[in-house]
Amino acid sequence: MSAPAPPTGWEFRVRRVEGAPLVAVRAWLRGGARAEAVPGQCYLTGRLLAEGTRRRDWRTLAEATESRGMVLTGTSGFETHAVALDALAGDWALALDWLAEILLEPAFPADRAALLCRQARAELASLADQADATTARAFLDQLYSPHPRGRPLQGTEESLATLTPEHAAEHHRRALGWGGVLTVAGLIDEAAVAERLAGLAAALPAGGDPLPEPPAPPATPLARREIVTRGHDQAHLFLGRLTVDQDDPELPALALLGIVLGAGSGLAGRIPTRIREREGLAYTATAETAAGAARDRGRLVCYLGTSPATLSRAEAAVREELARLVAEGPTPAEVEEARSYLLGREPFRRETARQWANLLATAALTGKPVDDPAWVIARLRGVTHSEVAAACRYLDPSALAVTVGLPVTG
Amino acid sequence: MEVCLLPNRQADLVTTALFYRAGTRDEPAAHRGVAHFLEHLMFKGSPGFGPGEIDRLTQAAGGVNNAFTGHNLTAFYFAFGADRWRTALAVEADRMAALTLAPEAVASERQVILEELAMYEDEPWDALEMAVLAALFPGHPYGQPILGDPATLRATGAAELADFHRRFYGPDNAVLVVAGALRPEAGRWIEEAFAPLAARGTSRPELPPLPPLPGLVRVERHQGEAARLLLALPAPAAGSPEQGALRLALALLTAGRSSRLQQLLVEADPTCLVLSAELHDGSEAPYLTIAVELLPGVEPRQVEETLLAELARFRATPPEERELARARRVLLADWAFAHERIHTQALVAGTALAGFDLDEPRRTLAAALAADAGGVQAAARAWLDPERAGVLGWSLP
Repeated sequence: MSAPAPPTGWEFRVRRVEGAPLVAVRAWLRGGARAEAVPGQCYLTGRLLAEGTRRRDWRTLAEATESRGMVLTGTSGFETHAVALDALAGDWALALDWLAEILLEPAFPADRAALLCRQARAELASLADQADATTARAFLDQLYSPHPRGRPLQGTEESLATLTPEHAAEHHRRALGWGGVLTVAGLIDEAAVAERLAGLAAALPAGGDPLPEPPAPPATPLARREIVTRGHDQAHLFLGRLTVDQDDPELPALALLGIVLGAGSGLAGRIPTRIREREGLAYTATAETAAGAARDRGRLVCYLGTSPATLSRAEAAVREELARLVAEGPTPAEVEEARSYLLGREPFRRETARQWANLLATAALTGKPVDDPAWVIARLRGVTHSEVAAACRYLDPSALAVTVGLPVTG
Repeated sequence: MEVCLLPNRQADLVTTALFYRAGTRDEPAAHRGVAHFLEHLMFKGSPGFGPGEIDRLTQAAGGVNNAFTGHNLTAFYFAFGADRWRTALAVEADRMAALTLAPEAVASERQVILEELAMYEDEPWDALEMAVLAALFPGHPYGQPILGDPATLRATGAAELADFHRRFYGPDNAVLVVAGALRPEAGRWIEEAFAPLAARGTSRPELPPLPPLPGLVRVERHQGEAARLLLALPAPAAGSPEQGALRLALALLTAGRSSRLQQLLVEADPTCLVLSAELHDGSEAPYLTIAVELLPGVEPRQVEETLLAELARFRATPPEERELARARRVLLADWAFAHERIHTQALVAGTALAGFDLDEPRRTLAAALAADAGGVQAAARAWLDPERAGVLGWSLP
């Protein structure tokens, strides 16, 4: 149900979810890393929200929430930063009160900011130990930089050295003006929750600066890049390109094409079937067509991890499969199977309170009723075979960027 | 075959989870990895379903499927919409009856597993865990890597896979859990699918006795740039009051930002990036692990000393009631979150039935919630003393 009218730029959404006695409360604020002035600023902002308010320091806040069995998380993404509280259903009012306190009275303490920047540097160092993650990171850089999606949410070693709590406070202040969405889902009384939200509505600011636009990704990314990872046994291969954003009318056709290619169940798509099932070249072989599509364009990504000795063969096989799809298109049976898969997945997206809270927030922020199964089903049913075939032009192997991560001893 | 139906109408979904009481512990030494190898081959062809067909059927029905192998059991699951889950029964019955095991499929899947092995070797935590378990259960099946090794995999072919399937994949060695929005005819459908299959009189090989550890054993590896520590300690049997108390002790020490070790190592005066702990109680040799990854520049010895000193302090002084109350609430909430999905409910029930009985998880939770300060301290003295028995593994740059 819709709760009382919030100020301009904000939306409240509430839903009772039958099942476990739990409640999920979310506040997603617009902006995200794509609106940050310094790399890592949004990440620091999200994390710092769980580090104390003007009334409670981090320790008191942690003890207060955990003594109720609640999980409090401050997070960030490329389009939002957020607070999430997951609690036993009986504690919904308490969770909402704490959410309001965290959102409106954050402390951004300097000692915790310094700690979080240190932790962020450690997270980057830890990721560098994982060969697949290192290669994935290089691939995103290749496709997106200087757009923020080309760098880690944490920022960079250099930017983390310059970030201060004031950066976080400023980002949060601006984001409150950009607006966002509050969602509550779980075994709750919707009317009682809506009434409680009315009090919060008055405290939220209305309106702010226009959302800044980040620099565009390169029109022609580097065609091929090889890096040396810290792995010892496996090479990692990413092939892809940017495709479409969340508003593009081709997105549903690309979603179906993604299933044909390998984003569906098990090893049924063309890439995993060829690479793993038929040729035994890799344990992991996946493909997606619009990964991460949101306000910014998503990407086609074909990924596999294989022995350096079979890397060339594996890359040739992926290219062959893509070329075949471009030349011949998918079969009608493949498109129908993909459609059937996505239709069948619908109930799985709305099973838990946490899923519902996130779906409601996504629907509010994108302006698309992704929480409404009828809308999702109609959209999928409306895609024609020829639309999926037309979307195959994104798979043209000659237009793909390639990132290869080679083992240090390979 | 044991069958467990868990009706639950919270969503229009059904999960089937078929557990076989067979795993790494049941493998012949020359064919280590055969249990996991067979798990892969269960998707590569049976009389009624050709190679790749199970995945295509699953995808066309909007479902998901997967499988996992452990030391004690192997499990296969499907999750479908409630109007189409019967497909899972047909698949499971067919591949329980027989497998094709075509030589080219076996050869190709062996290559896939060799790549999987390489993937785990390249991942610092996975590689450390394998080394620590090998030291915790030296020479024992529970210490063997689930994937086997390249030599034993190359020595394993269709004949060995067929033998393992024949010995362990019969209905009398299986547990089937079906959870979700079930219709009244569910029981009949199961009966029709599996009744034609004959029992095989499975008997598992006797496990050798667990080798005693000579106090604290150290393992050291060198991989990556971050330092990682994994402490593994034996734990009491699942479902026992003592394990309940230990579970509460572990929550008090490690669950949530206000827990003792999180505060000490990650939050207040941090030396570590992350800390996690787990109680692995699915076998006759339960154990617990505490894992930390260090912040760059921190001296490993300092973290090790802090961790061991806090465990010693915990053994010496009973916890405060306030800490116990917090830990109990955390466990209760964790339980609710973990059981929120029908799929998880099916897997938890299957694991319990395959190893113990259906009520074991609830009994363990009840025992943890009922533990008092004295019980927690006693459990800590008995089981959180690495010098008595345990493995301390380091992965260092």
